[in-house]
Amino acid sequence: MHNLILLGNGLLNVLSIQNLLVTGLGAILGLMVGAMPGIGSLAGVALLLPLTYKFNPTTAIIMLGALYYSNMYGGSFSAILLNIPGDSPAVMTTLDGYPMATVKKRPGQALYTSNLSSFIGGFIGIAILIFMGPALAEFGLKFGPVEMTALLLVAMTSIGWLVGDNPTKGVVLTLAGILVATVGMDTLTGSPRYDFGNVFLLGGIPFIPFVIGTVGFAQVMKLIDEKDVGTKTVVEGKMSLKGSLLSRHELRRLLPPAIRSGFMGTFVGVLPGAGATTGSFLGYAMQKGFKSEEPLGTGAIEGIAACEAANNAAAAGSFAPLLALGIPGSGTGAVLLGGLMMWGLNPGPLLFSSQPEFCWSLIASLMLANLLTLAIALGIIPWITRILSVPIKLMIPCITIVCIVGSYSSTNSLYGVIVMLISGVVGYLCEKNGYTTAPMLLSFVLAPLLESNMRKSFIISHGSISIFFTEPIACCFMIVLLAIIATPIIRGILSGKKR
Amino acid sequence: MYKKILTVVAVALLALPVFANGDSEQKTGGTFVPTQNIEWYCTSSPGGGSDIFTRTIQDIMTSEKLVNGQNIIIQYKTDGAGEVGRALVSTLKGTKADYTLLTFNSGDLMPMDKNTDRRFSDFQPIAHMAVDNHLIFVTPDSRFKSFKDVLAALQNGDNVVMAGSKGDDIACHAALIKELGVSADQFAFIANDSSGTAVTSILGNHVDLLICKPAAASQYVEAGRLIPILALASKRFPGNLQSAPILSELGYHDVEVPNWRSVVGSKNMSPEAVAYWTDVFKKVSQTSAWQDGYINKQKLVADYMDSVTFKTYGSKFEADYLASIGK
Repeated sequence: MHNLILLGNGLLNVLSIQNLLVTGLGAILGLMVGAMPGIGSLAGVALLLPLTYKFNPTTAIIMLGALYYSNMYGGSFSAILLNIPGDSPAVMTTLDGYPMATVKKRPGQALYTSNLSSFIGGFIGIAILIFMGPALAEFGLKFGPVEMTALLLVAMTSIGWLVGDNPTKGVVLTLAGILVATVGMDTLTGSPRYDFGNVFLLGGIPFIPFVIGTVGFAQVMKLIDEKDVGTKTVVEGKMSLKGSLLSRHELRRLLPPAIRSGFMGTFVGVLPGAGATTGSFLGYAMQKGFKSEEPLGTGAIEGIAACEAANNAAAAGSFAPLLALGIPGSGTGAVLLGGLMMWGLNPGPLLFSSQPEFCWSLIASLMLANLLTLAIALGIIPWITRILSVPIKLMIPCITIVCIVGSYSSTNSLYGVIVMLISGVVGYLCEKNGYTTAPMLLSFVLAPLLESNMRKSFIISHGSISIFFTEPIACCFMIVLLAIIATPIIRGILSGKKR
Repeated sequence: MYKKILTVVAVALLALPVFANGDSEQKTGGTFVPTQNIEWYCTSSPGGGSDIFTRTIQDIMTSEKLVNGQNIIIQYKTDGAGEVGRALVSTLKGTKADYTLLTFNSGDLMPMDKNTDRRFSDFQPIAHMAVDNHLIFVTPDSRFKSFKDVLAALQNGDNVVMAGSKGDDIACHAALIKELGVSADQFAFIANDSSGTAVTSILGNHVDLLICKPAAASQYVEAGRLIPILALASKRFPGNLQSAPILSELGYHDVEVPNWRSVVGSKNMSPEAVAYWTDVFKKVSQTSAWQDGYINKQKLVADYMDSVTFKTYGSKFEADYLASIGK
C-alpha cells in the first residue's frame, strides 16, 4: 500500500505538462532508435544523455527511461518487416515475425502481436518492480558466477530446439557461433585470441553487424537470387487498419505466452549481466515447451508474443538492481547510472530512501511510456506495413543501405560493414544449404557469458566441479539440465524395450 | 543475376561517401581555436570511472565556455578492452587529430603495453589530471572482519578469492600478493568487466574480498553494505574510508599502484592544438566544479600536469612497468 502511495506521487510528478512532453518525446525517439538497425538503446540513451544535463534529474531520467523502454518496441519493426533485428533482443522476433509478415502475408498482425505482447510483458515487469523492486534486486545478487553458469548451461541445451530438422547441421552452426565468439580479448585475462595481429579482430566480432549480415543481408542476397523480381512486391495487395487487426481467437493465443514470458523476463532482467537479449531468447525457448497452434519458426503468434513480452519485461526488471542497489543490469543501465552521477545524484543502495521522488517518478514514467508507446506504435502500424508493398527491385538497394548504415553506426567504422558483408554471404550460403542460422546467433550471444561465468566459478572453487552441486540454486539448475539431457535417452531406451 | 549484384555493389559504393570525413582549416594566425565539433573517445563502458571523468570535464568545458562554444561528443570505443579505440585515436591525422581527445589512464596503458606493440609514445600527452588509489572491502557477513583475519587465513593455508575490475586492479593484486609472499592460486583474483560487476559479486557473497577505487564503493560503505579493511596507499583515506589501515600498519611495506587519470590525443596532433588543449585542461583543473564536484566527491588526489611534464611522467611509468613484466 505504501508503495502505491509513493507511485501515486510519482505519477503526479510525471503528469506535469513538461514531463508528459518529455515522456512522449522519449517514447517517439525510442521507437525510431529501436527501428533503426545498429543504433539500439545503449547508443540512443548515450546520445541523448548530454542533452539532458541541464534538465532536473527527474525530468531527465523520465525522458531516457521512456526512450529505453520504447526502444524495445521499435526493435521489432525492422525485424518483422525487413528481417533485420533493430536491436539484439529482436533477433528472436525475426524467427516468427518475418515469416508471418511475408510468407503468411500478415505484416500488420505480426506487428500488432509484437506490440501488444511488449505492452503485456512491460506491464507485468513494471508491476513487479513496483511491489518487489528492492526484494528482486536482493534476489538477483544470489546469482553469482556459479548460479549463472548453471542457468546458462540449461539455456544452451535449449538451443537444440532451434536447430530444425537436421540436428547435425544445427550442432555445426552452434559450434561455429561459439568459435566466432571466442575471437578477441580473453574475457578474464585480457589476452588476445585469434586476432592474427589485427587490431579489429582483437576487439572481437561485433554482434550487431554479425546479426544484420547473417539475417538481413543474407535476405537481400536471397531476394537477388530470386528470378523475375520485376515489379513484384513482398506482400501483394493494399494494407488497411481493419485488415491488420488481430481476431479474438488470435488475442487469446497471444495472452498465455505473453503473460508467462512477462514473469520470466522480469526474473531474467534482475540477474547480473543477463539482459533483454537473454530474456528474449529464454522466453522463446520456454514457449517451445508449451503448445502452440502453429509450429514455432513458421510465423506463429505464440513465438512473437513469447520473445517480445520477455524482452520488455527484462528491460523493466533491470531497473530493480539499478534503483535499489546502484548496479546496472545492462549496458543501457550503466549509461543511465552515469547519468545519475552527472545530474548530481548518488546511485547506490541509498537512492530509494534518499531520492524517493526521483525513483518513483521514474517507475511511473515507465508505466506511462509503456502506454504511450503502445498507442503510438499501434497507430502507425497500418502505414508502416506499406514498406512491404514496395517492389522488390527497389527494396534490394534500400535494405542494402539500411544494412550498411546500421553496421557502420553500431561500430563507428567500416570494420562493422565488412563483418556484415562477410556474415551475409555466410548466412546466405548456410540458408541455401539447409543450415538454420538461429543457433549460431544464439550461441554467439550466450558463449561469452557462459565462458566468463564458468571460468570465474572454477577460480572460486579452485578447479572443483562440485561447486555446481553444493550451491543450492546452481544444484537445482543442474538437476534440470541433467533431466533435459537424460529425457530423450530414457525415452529411447524405453521405446526400444517396447519394440 | 550479375546485373543485380552489380546494382547492389554500385549502391554500396555510392553510400560510402556518407562515411567520409571532411577536412577543413581550423588554424588562424598560428594558434588553434576549435571551430567544429570535438570528438572525445572513452575506451571504458559508460557509467564507470573513466566515463564520469570524461563527462565531468566535458561539462566544465562547455559550461565555462572553454572550447569556443563547440560541442564535445563522447564516443565509447570499448572493443578489444579499448584497444580498437586507442588504435583509432593514435593513427588520426590532419584536422581529425586536432579535434580528437582520448581519456587515457594507467589502467589503459598497462594492458596496452602487455598485449600490443602500441606504446605511450604513439600518443600526444595533453594533460594529467588526477590520481586514484585502491581499497579492499568485505561485506558485514564475511568470514573476515579485518585484513588481519585475511592474513591469518593465508598463513593457515586457506584459499582467498578477490574480485576486481581489469587494468590497474590486476596490477594492484599482483603487487599485493608479491608483498604478502603468497601465490596467485591461494590468493586468487577474478577480473570483471567493470567495478560494478565486481561489487555485485561481493554483495552476493560469491567472493571473499573486493578491490576497487573509493568512488565505486563509497555509497555501499555509507549504506553499511561494504566495510573497508585495507587501503592500498601510503596514507589512510579520509571520511567513511578512514577506518581502513594501510599495509605498513600491519607490518608490511605499503602497496600502492596509483591509477592516474589523464587525456591524450593522436601523436599527429599539431603543436598549436596541443598548446590549446593543455591550457584548456589547466583551466578545468582550476575550477571549483573540478575541485569540489569531482576531486573531493570521488575522493581522488588532484594532480594536474601539462603536456611536457606528463610526457616525462608517463614515459617513466611505462618504462618501469615494461621492466616489471620483462618486456
